[in-house]
Amino acid sequence: MNDMSRLSEAGALPATPPATSPATPPETAAERRARARRERYYSAGQWRLVWWRFRRHRGALLAALLLGAMVLAGLFADVVAPCAPTERDRAYLAGPPQFPVFCDAKGCSLRPFVHGSRTERDPVTLRLRAVPDPEKRDPVIFFVPGPTVRLLGAIPLSVRLFGLESGAPLHLWGTDPLGRDVFSRTLHATRTSLSIGVLGVLISFTLALAIGGIAGYAGGLVDAAIQRVTEVVRVIPVIPLYMGLAAAMPKEWSSTQVYFAMTLILGLFGWPTLARRIRSQLLSIRGEDYVLAARLAGARPARIIAGHMLPSFTSFIIVDLVISFPYMILSETALSFVGLGLRPPAVSWGVMLQQAQSVQVIEQAPWLFIPAGFVVLAVLAFTLLGDGLRDAADPYGQNG
Amino acid sequence: MLSVENLSVTFRTDEGIVTPVADVSFALAEGRTLGLVGESGSGKSVTAKALMRLLPGTATLGAHSRMRYVDKAGQAIGIERLSPRARALRRLRGGEIGMIFQEPMASFSPVYTIGNQITEAIALHRGLKGRAARALAIEMLAKVGIASPERRIDQYPHTLSGGMRQRAMIALALSAGPRLLIADEPTTALDVTIQAQVLDLMRGLQCDLGMAMIFISHDLGVIAQVAQEVAVMYLGTIVERGPVRALLQAPAHPYTRGLIAAIPRLDRLEGRLHPVPGEIPSPSARPAGCPFHPRCAEALAGICATRVPEPVDLGGGRVVRCHLHTGERSVA
Amino acid sequence: MLRFLAGRAVGMAVTLVLVSVMVFAIMELPPGDYADRYAFRKYSGTGVTITEADVAAIRHTLGLDRPAPLRYLDWVGGIVLHGDFGKAYAFETSVNAIIGQKVWLTLGLLFVTLVLTYAVSIPIGIYAAVRRGTATDYGLTVLSYLGLALPNFLLALVLLYFANRWFGASVGGLFGQAYEKAPWSAAKLWDLVKHLWLPALVLAWSAMAYQIQTVRATMSDELGKLSVIAARARGLPEMRLLLKYPARLALNPVVSTIGFDVNRIFSELPIVAAVLGLTELGDLLLKSFLDLDMNVAGAILLLLTVVIVGMNFVSDLLLAWLDPRIRLGG
Repeated sequence: MNDMSRLSEAGALPATPPATSPATPPETAAERRARARRERYYSAGQWRLVWWRFRRHRGALLAALLLGAMVLAGLFADVVAPCAPTERDRAYLAGPPQFPVFCDAKGCSLRPFVHGSRTERDPVTLRLRAVPDPEKRDPVIFFVPGPTVRLLGAIPLSVRLFGLESGAPLHLWGTDPLGRDVFSRTLHATRTSLSIGVLGVLISFTLALAIGGIAGYAGGLVDAAIQRVTEVVRVIPVIPLYMGLAAAMPKEWSSTQVYFAMTLILGLFGWPTLARRIRSQLLSIRGEDYVLAARLAGARPARIIAGHMLPSFTSFIIVDLVISFPYMILSETALSFVGLGLRPPAVSWGVMLQQAQSVQVIEQAPWLFIPAGFVVLAVLAFTLLGDGLRDAADPYGQNG
Repeated sequence: MLSVENLSVTFRTDEGIVTPVADVSFALAEGRTLGLVGESGSGKSVTAKALMRLLPGTATLGAHSRMRYVDKAGQAIGIERLSPRARALRRLRGGEIGMIFQEPMASFSPVYTIGNQITEAIALHRGLKGRAARALAIEMLAKVGIASPERRIDQYPHTLSGGMRQRAMIALALSAGPRLLIADEPTTALDVTIQAQVLDLMRGLQCDLGMAMIFISHDLGVIAQVAQEVAVMYLGTIVERGPVRALLQAPAHPYTRGLIAAIPRLDRLEGRLHPVPGEIPSPSARPAGCPFHPRCAEALAGICATRVPEPVDLGGGRVVRCHLHTGERSVA
Repeated sequence: MLRFLAGRAVGMAVTLVLVSVMVFAIMELPPGDYADRYAFRKYSGTGVTITEADVAAIRHTLGLDRPAPLRYLDWVGGIVLHGDFGKAYAFETSVNAIIGQKVWLTLGLLFVTLVLTYAVSIPIGIYAAVRRGTATDYGLTVLSYLGLALPNFLLALVLLYFANRWFGASVGGLFGQAYEKAPWSAAKLWDLVKHLWLPALVLAWSAMAYQIQTVRATMSDELGKLSVIAARARGLPEMRLLLKYPARLALNPVVSTIGFDVNRIFSELPIVAAVLGLTELGDLLLKSFLDLDMNVAGAILLLLTVVIVGMNFVSDLLLAWLDPRIRLGG
């Protein structure tokens, strides 16, 4: 019964008719179809099973879509964002978000528009800030011309996805006190933060695979030594450790150099958890009956590793990869937030949040806090995706 | 002392309603042993758990299910009507009906000593505390044949061997003083030699204490040794029941015949084994009509696949559910 | 049991030696050394031109021109033999004087945070597992996911923002203004307690979320175990049953990750401290990293790690005490 409920959880089986159904002819068309599906389930490959199970995990599916959207937004930031990340709009300092609307006090229009703005001095902070001017209307249009950018670093384009008819920049999510567009900066920050995550995870994964693999396969003294070192890296609190390394970056380094140094730091010390998992997986699989069977059948070690051991835990490794993203992203954000990570003109979520460090700022310009939402969403999405994949990866679902 | 009528259990699962036990009836007199036999998935354990109301929240009892139990004070209890949190149910569990399980390792909690778990049962059902409870626990351990029980009582389950653990489990169940013991495959997880010892022990204890017993096993051979009566279950229904000797000598149901033929016998080593053909279907895909008909070599065309056979009294305490005995043959 | 403990203790010692080497390496990492920064600070703005020779002279008097292994031995020797962490350059005093009582503040904060973490997560995790599949369970799960996703320093900002809005007062810091510089007294301690809940809540946030999920998962596993059904079959009242059998075992993963939780809390401490204006080690660590005052930073990093290693040991002890299978080497 247990097996059957698992099958149906996988979405592979249709609901069976209740046991007390009236007598039926030997096999109806529906039953034949059900049987065919069941047989398809038993003969399906590992990845197909994973996909079937994954598909049922709504949250994870949603998370995957969200991450996909973030990746796309990051990749095409140059064209989607109306402004360059460092471009300053002196006529719109610390301005509130401009939401395109169809109607205002003066009536409706068929085309979405935003209100114009004028600059005022804030009576409290005595700083210049933009306030909306309901007298002026400025329609939003799509595919407006803009300075030429190289899309994905290759395709030259001189068009932006949307903008204002007047040619003034549209500040969808407002601007910071320097007049930089928060929406555009957030998109570019998404690119930076996600790419640091990817590079960091790749580096730490490569290290983890090598270190964990050696420890798990060699065993004995080598294993003991590696375990000791892993333990040391694991007990030092991570962010202070990163801080120490980041503090050592010379002040005169360019933001690009800092970017690569950061990925290296995050990657170099992100491996211990993953390496431990790989090691213990290898050790436990090494003792499995089917590996022993392969060895007794005279298979060469390379074949045993590639043909029997790896396939049984690639899915686990993928899950581990996915769930190690949040650590990278959070670490980068935290470090940049306190000024030990990326440096302007580079822009990441953490760099942007540096401007929103005090309660006063958040009260006066809450839109500067928008990147925090991205951090939360990204971490949440990676966590959910990891959970969904973990449930799905378990071939016949022990904890489904 | 115990009579079960029309017991049905249904589970809500993701793929709909599953019925692992359908329309089971049997009765048990004081001091007697009933053997429940069947393949895995035939509903034996679910029946046992239903008697103790140990089924998970997804399970519901059928509307016509009746489980009547007469307790030590001579009062009749409708088990199916007890509320899950009732004191009466807690007194029933352990105090009136004891239960032992297949996995002696898993049925003890690993973080408490054997003694801790036994004295807990004693305190609950006998009202003994402290030194008195401990003395009784030691006495029970000695009774189940555990050497140096004063030492064993302070040991943790993982330090005992499998056979020893099952003995301790029996001591635990008996120390609460039940009148009925449900043993759910108590010897299946043990080595053959230990199995015989434990069976011997259980038989002896049953005689000493005058307990009734429901002994669940998939092994007809084991049942034949301990039970006076046997009920053969297939896919949640009792297909045949009766006194153990009569049933083994002249099985009335084709499934019982199949089970008996499938037992390997030392005196017929050259011959091939005769397994029951086919596989036991999943409870969610219960065949219509007689549940056994897809695997039955003697199935009657047009009858067994469509109509559920009613119980037929063969006399001598024997009841069978099979169209071969209902007179349907003449209709076909 | 003794062998188990001895083994752990030896492992702990080896780990600590390696940790100290690593911390020393981090202290050596930034370009320039103590002498450079000392000279720069002492003479900047005085119109005195410092030459390489001056710096070298300072370096020599401080013994900083000796090879790294020797300086490492000096450093570790000072700490182990005299409890002396060396000199802080920014304040021209010893590291000990700067760190001083902040160690106790930090440990107090850690203790309150840990107590809060477990006091909240263990009952909630157990409750969610028992009520598995209900709306309550679902809501708690969603909350714990959010807890994992919202970084502590952002939570701190959000809480400050709302505190500001609703109470109109700043709730940051560890002391009220009246007590910040005051000597220790019962009133100051009470003031500290009144301020401690917010940083403790912020720091406990993600550890709580993580532990709720762990407890819920283990508890769900344990609830289905045969030993629980067996206990129910002997007529144990449900509440006593839950607490004695599954809940007891659901504690194991919590206890075994105490060190991990401390690590997590310390990891977030510097940034939360900066946001909430806490004047303790985390805040000081961040400041000294920004100032490149590596002697202070190194000392704090080492202290934090020692606490983590110590808590790992405590967690091993507790685990052995809780679980006879570990204690008896089964």
